[in-house]
Formats: sequence, C-alpha cells, structure tokens
Amino acid sequence: MELSNNSSKGKIIASGVIPFGFLILLMVYIFGPGADLLDFGIPLPEITIEKVDFIDSEIQATVRNTGPIPVEVVMADVNDRIQPAAVEPDGYLERYETTLVRIPFEWNAAEPYIIGITIEDGTRFEKEIEAAAPALEFNLDLAIFFAIIGTYVGIIPVMIGLLWLPFIKRISKQKYHFFLALTAGLLFFLAIDSMEEALDISDENLAGSFNGTLLVATVVVLSFLALYYSGNKLVTKADSSKLAKPVAIALMISIGIGLHNFGEGLAIGASVGMGSIAFSTFLIVGFALHNTTEGIAIAAPMSRGRLMIGKLIALGLIAGSPAIFGAWIGGFAYSPFSSVVFLAVGAGAIFQVILVLLKWIKDEGDKTLSSAAVICGFAVGMSIMYLTSIFV
Amino acid sequence: MIKSRSQIMITSLVVIVFVSTLYVIFPESISAQSEETTFVTHSGSVVKTTGEILDPLYTSATMEFDPMEYLREFNYGQVSKLPNGKTLREFTIIAEDDKIMEVSPGVFYNAWTFNGTVPGPTIRATEGDIVKINFINNGSKEHTMHFHGIHPAEMDGVFEPVGGGGGQFVYEFEAGPVGVHPYHCHVMPLEEHIVHGLYGVFIVDPKESRPPADEMVMVLNGLDTDFDTENNFYAANTIPFYYQHHPIQIQTDELIRVYVVNMVEFDPINNLHLHGNLYKYYPTGTDLVPSFYTDMITLSQTERGIMEFEYMFPGKYLFHAHKVEFSEKGWIGIFLVSENPENSQEIDYGT
Repeated sequence: MELSNNSSKGKIIASGVIPFGFLILLMVYIFGPGADLLDFGIPLPEITIEKVDFIDSEIQATVRNTGPIPVEVVMADVNDRIQPAAVEPDGYLERYETTLVRIPFEWNAAEPYIIGITIEDGTRFEKEIEAAAPALEFNLDLAIFFAIIGTYVGIIPVMIGLLWLPFIKRISKQKYHFFLALTAGLLFFLAIDSMEEALDISDENLAGSFNGTLLVATVVVLSFLALYYSGNKLVTKADSSKLAKPVAIALMISIGIGLHNFGEGLAIGASVGMGSIAFSTFLIVGFALHNTTEGIAIAAPMSRGRLMIGKLIALGLIAGSPAIFGAWIGGFAYSPFSSVVFLAVGAGAIFQVILVLLKWIKDEGDKTLSSAAVICGFAVGMSIMYLTSIFV
Repeated sequence: MIKSRSQIMITSLVVIVFVSTLYVIFPESISAQSEETTFVTHSGSVVKTTGEILDPLYTSATMEFDPMEYLREFNYGQVSKLPNGKTLREFTIIAEDDKIMEVSPGVFYNAWTFNGTVPGPTIRATEGDIVKINFINNGSKEHTMHFHGIHPAEMDGVFEPVGGGGGQFVYEFEAGPVGVHPYHCHVMPLEEHIVHGLYGVFIVDPKESRPPADEMVMVLNGLDTDFDTENNFYAANTIPFYYQHHPIQIQTDELIRVYVVNMVEFDPINNLHLHGNLYKYYPTGTDLVPSFYTDMITLSQTERGIMEFEYMFPGKYLFHAHKVEFSEKGWIGIFLVSENPENSQEIDYGT
C-alpha cells in the first residue's frame, strides 16, 4: 500500500517535471553552443540615464544598461559639449547594470541642462534636466524639515479628519452607509491617482525594457492579493480575539492610506530635491486639504465600536506618518524604480481596502450595494477627491 | 508545523524584498571600493575617482591612425619621365568600406577609407605633371575618386562607378591648377560616402616652387557616429582633441605653411582661428599673392586654402574652430613653439 502510494507520488512529480525538462531542452537547442537558429537581426544597444544629480562643481548621472547586449560607456557631454569625466566603478555594463558617471562641471543653478552619454559604437543617449538644483545632502536640519512637512501633509490632516468621528457616530444607519461608501469613493480615487503617478514616473524615467505599465499592473495585483490574504486572516482573528472587527477594518484602511501617503511623501521629497520649491509648497497645501478626507475614511468604520482614543491616534499615525518616511526617501535617495513600486503597492493596498469596505456595507444590511446612500456616497467621495486634487 | 513553514517563507520573502529594495535605492554604493586615480578637467581642477576616466583629452596615447604622421606626410608617387619630357607620377589607391576604426578613445566607427586611413593619402604633384592613379575598389559598394581641378569629363569620377570586390579604374590627367584641392568618392548617396571618410587632399605645386617652409596638411572633418545627420565629433585630421594633447612642434621665425581643406558635412560652415598670430591666406592656393592677412577664415564645404605664418615668441598657442561648439567637440589643437636654435646662435654672436 505504502509502496504504491510512493510510486504514484513519484509519477505525479515526474509528470510535473517532464514538461520543464522539454522546456530546458528547447532553450538549449535555441541558445546552446553551435545553435545559430536565432542568429539574425542586429541587437541595438540602449542605455537609460535614470537620474542626474547636481552637486558641488560636478554633475552625476546614474546610467543603466537597458538594452539587450552589454555596452561600454566611453564619453560624457554636457549640452552636447564633450567633457572629461569619470565612471565609477567602471564603464562596462552588463544588462541592467548601473554605473555612476561623474562630470566635473561648474553648473549654474536653475538653468536647463542636457546630459549626454556616448557608448562604444558612437551612439549618444541624453537626458534633459529642466532646471539644475543642488542635490539634497543628508543633514539633520533637512531631515527635520522633511519630518515637519510630512507631519503637515500626513499626520495632522488625517487627525483633523478623525474629528468627524463623533458626528458619524450619531447618524442613522442609512447615513452611515453613505459615509462608508464615501470612504470607498475617496479611496478609489486615491488608487487611480497612485497608479497614474506610477505610470508617469515609469514613462519619464524608466527604460522600455522595464515594461512600466505591466510592472505597475503586476505590483498592484500582487500587493492586492497579499493584503487580501493577510487582511482576511486579521479579520477572522479579530472575530475570535478582543480586537473588534471595526478596528481591524480601520487598521487595514490605515495601512492602505499609509502606503498611499508614503507615495505622496516621495513626490514631495523628490520635488524639493529637484528644486521646484514653489511647486512643492503648492503640493503641500493640496495634499493637506486632500488628506483630511482620509481621516474620514478611518473614522467611518471606527464609529461603530466603542470610542477608543488611543487606538484612533495609533491608526492616524499609521496612516499619516509614512508621509515623513516618503519625504526622506524622496528627498535623499530618490530612485524612480522604487517609487514606481511603492506607488503600485499603495494602489493594490487601497483596492483591497475598498473591497473590505463594500463587503462590510453588505454585511451591515445593504445586500446589493445599490441603495441611494451607497451610490451617492461613492459618487460624492470621488467628486470631493477630484475637486481637492485640483489644488495639488 | 505548517505555520512555522509559512513563517519562514514570509520572513525570507521580507528579507529578499528588503535587500532588493536597498539595491534599487542605492545601486552604486553596494560595490567594492578600489584605489583612486586622478584626472584634470577643462578648467584645470584635479578630480579623484575610484573608477575609470572618460577623457578624450588626456588618455588617447595610441591610435590606429596617427594624425602626427599624417600631418607632414606628402605622397609624390612613383616618378618617371614620359617621352614628351613630362613627369609621370603613379599612385595606387585602394578603397575599403569594412574597416572599424577607433576614432576617439573607446569609440569605434565604421570608416570608409582610401589606403586605410581617413583622410586618404595626400597626393602631391607639380603643375603640368601627369598624375596616374591606379584605383582599386576592395569595398563592398561602388566607389570612385573625384578630384577637384581641371581634367577631362571621363576622369571626373562621377559617371564611371567602380564596382566593389576588386573593381579597377585608372584616372589619368595633367595636374592643375596650382593650389590645394580635395578629392573624394562621388558615388550616390554622396553625403554618406563622404562622411564615412572617403576623401583626401591633392596639392598642385607651382613650377617655380613656393619658398621653403615647415609644411603641413589639415583636413577639417567631422564624424557622425550615431547617424543622425549631426556630427558627434569634429577634428583637424579626424582624431578629436589629438593636437591638443599632442601639440604640433614648430620653431620661432620659421615659415609655417598649412594646407587647410574643410570636409565637414551637415554644418554649413567651419573656420580656423590662430592664437597669438595672424596668417597670410591664399584661397584655394591658386594665387601666389595672399588675399588676406587675418587670424580667422570661414570655410564652406570643400572650401580650402593655404595659410602661412611665423611665430615671433616661443610658447603654446591654440588653433581651433571659432565656432566654439566644434572646438568643444574636438576641433582644437596647440602649436608648441620653441626657440629657433639658429636664432639663439645669432644672439650668441651678437653678445
């Protein structure tokens, strides 16, 4: 009995492995030594200048090989004029490898520059910088400055939003559904906003070989699935423990909003880093107005439990404080790839929260999610976000 | 059991995500540091680096093509006397179009060449000599040699394309008029055949030769290495910045004669500015009396002339395009003027 069981297990494993064997054979046949089946066409080298930093008497360009073949970085220019430069650690780049090109250059603040990099076959790639501004170097003052901005943008508005809790607590079930749907509408807008931002960054800064759109889609879905799984675990746990279900849902909303605010922090930090200070002042006011609504999103589910001030503040911090971390990373260590990933994770998290909210409204009695309160709530939520987004 | 396994999985997943995030955020800092080297910028400051130096100015010690050798190399051909008393000069020129040449440190370009170099050999004859060129095309495309000057139509190198893979043609004509002229391939698409490097200089000396001088040839050219109909590099004699880090050595009170030919394509003009001096300029070299005394001449496509000057004071003097874009992309050089030993002897006698 046991023996036959073992052999059938072996059969299952074999039947799972055999197709892989054939796949490997196919790869060996196509790419293996002596196989010139696919040896046609000319692969074109490609590099992408992902980042340009202006530091003291020097311009630094981060260059990535985003083409199908290895390349060698051999020359640098500023505004199409050849400059002596250094490349660290070296100019030879395998696929996806990055290197740092240091160009000593007395640049002028606020002037536009085009940075060009030439590779060994004479092809020149360039990146245009609208206005040169000194790269932010980490120091305590600046870190505190970013923390204060993050607090203004993230924590304070969310806390203000939470002050609607006593109001939401006293209203009828219909109106309560309205507010829950409103929250879902707000969040839906934020998710789309995050994805748009992620796609913009990938279009502007990432090479085609990263498949920016698909990268965003994949990360959104993965983040959604991960949080969906762990969120359900959290809610079932909440049923059996003293952690109330409204708190569990509010916690998930906070985490989703937190990830979103992290993305907003990145945007603020990066725009300060790129020298568009006026733009970021505007951005800060816009985000602050905008994020007050996020407080409502957390307050809405919490209003059905006991009033728990401590937990509420904790949730506000979970939702708001990532803006500080975002601003630090955006300002001091900006990387377009990680920004795209963070924003997409945020979008996935928010979609998950929307699903949880709608489920909760269903559980609360509105089985078809088609009551006037829910429909209006969702619509008003989207509209509020759109109107406040005009300020950003 | 299952719980702990999933915990391990989640933990390892978190670690992987964290480490790869670090890599994405700080791509360049996670790598070993090596020892430092230094280089000097255009403005003279010294910069240290742990990496490699990208500098067409100071690193190109060896090049396949030696602009210093080309500068003063004149080919007079295989000389014989014809029955009618005229001098026959025979040359063999081989065209190729498959050569990959390092044109600037690390930059490789498919140059099309006459006798293996860009520019091709400088062909020199005296007015009235018979020039005979055995042209062999070892390229893969059709090529010709078209000389600027006076010759019969069938020697013009336009309507007689010479096939690749060993095609042959003999160009024969009487050298004239006196001056400095370009020769180049004249197969369509013409711009492509010229910018790839199929050109050179043809000098016709007057029967009564010019005064002795330190003579040199400068072909002002450009290289469009990424084929976007804009030059990526400019130079005198092909290699960008070459004469800047290998100054041309001359002496005070010695007549310098430069045969200048502008072969730059895409840009409508080029020019030549000399520092600390002025030159006598003979447009096309056809007249023995200079037309200008200046330090700046503008040249259109294939426009050329002879420049003559002497330096009074020793030292380093720049010469470059005063279309400064061109000089910042390689068309710049230095005359290193040393005291003429004969001069110092005279001074010795005097004191």
